[in-house]
Amino acid sequence: MLHKKWWKVLSFVLLLYTCTYGFLVKVPKLDDRMQESIRNFFFHVPMWFGMMILLFVSLVYSIKYLRSSSLVHDIYAQAYAAMGLTFGILGIITGALWANYQWGSPWVGDPKQNGAAIALLIYFAYFVLRGSLVDAEKKARLSAVYNVFSFFMLFPTLWILPRLTESLHPGGQGSDGNPGLNGKDMSANMRTVFYPAVIGWTLLGVWISTLKIRVQMIQLKKEGLL
Amino acid sequence: MFTFLQTQQAANQSIMLQNGKIYLVMAVVCIVLVGLFTYVAAIDKKIKQLEK
Repeated sequence: MLHKKWWKVLSFVLLLYTCTYGFLVKVPKLDDRMQESIRNFFFHVPMWFGMMILLFVSLVYSIKYLRSSSLVHDIYAQAYAAMGLTFGILGIITGALWANYQWGSPWVGDPKQNGAAIALLIYFAYFVLRGSLVDAEKKARLSAVYNVFSFFMLFPTLWILPRLTESLHPGGQGSDGNPGLNGKDMSANMRTVFYPAVIGWTLLGVWISTLKIRVQMIQLKKEGLL
Repeated sequence: MFTFLQTQQAANQSIMLQNGKIYLVMAVVCIVLVGLFTYVAAIDKKIKQLEK
């Protein structure tokens, strides 16, 4: 998987498709409050989907580390968490920009905005924890345990609490299910761009993560730890 | 006559200037994307050499 080429090409093709057809596809007008800015759905939302997928992969490798105590699994977990967090930061910045023009202020204290900020801070602490430990094995073990905790904190901060109260984001109180996954809430046209966009951005994230993994594997080999 | 001239003008215009110049934005985004992927692919190649 690490050295295969086809999925890297697929990522490029899907993103080229997103960045062209995403501008051309007919979007619903509704009451025209969103105007063309709804096209941000092809760029802002896949950042969060990509983040959740990459952080889940990171969680899987952290659990694998706890079972195997192999430093390789720790490297995987760390690289995927870093790329997931990068997507999250891009998501919150693009969200603030969109909110500034859609809701009137970059930070309106929307429950999902607040929850996302808390979730990111919890993941920042993962890297603070890693940076504060010198011993490789202790660092790997403690951060793996913390990573399990931080992933499960995504449930309340992103998936539960913002949906229990009224929210400016789709999917707040009074609407059913996940607006990204619930097909009824998005026009068929938009779905033909949105899902390829999610896959494309996620694959790009995986690609960059594997680069980091490979560099660190070379370093481990150099230090004779592998 | 006026509308005829307008359509004539639109036909002469580059595609980049039509529809509020949205295609221009699209072209810019595509260049950024190609550049970004070229860079990531170059790093990938470099790491491949180091792995040998």
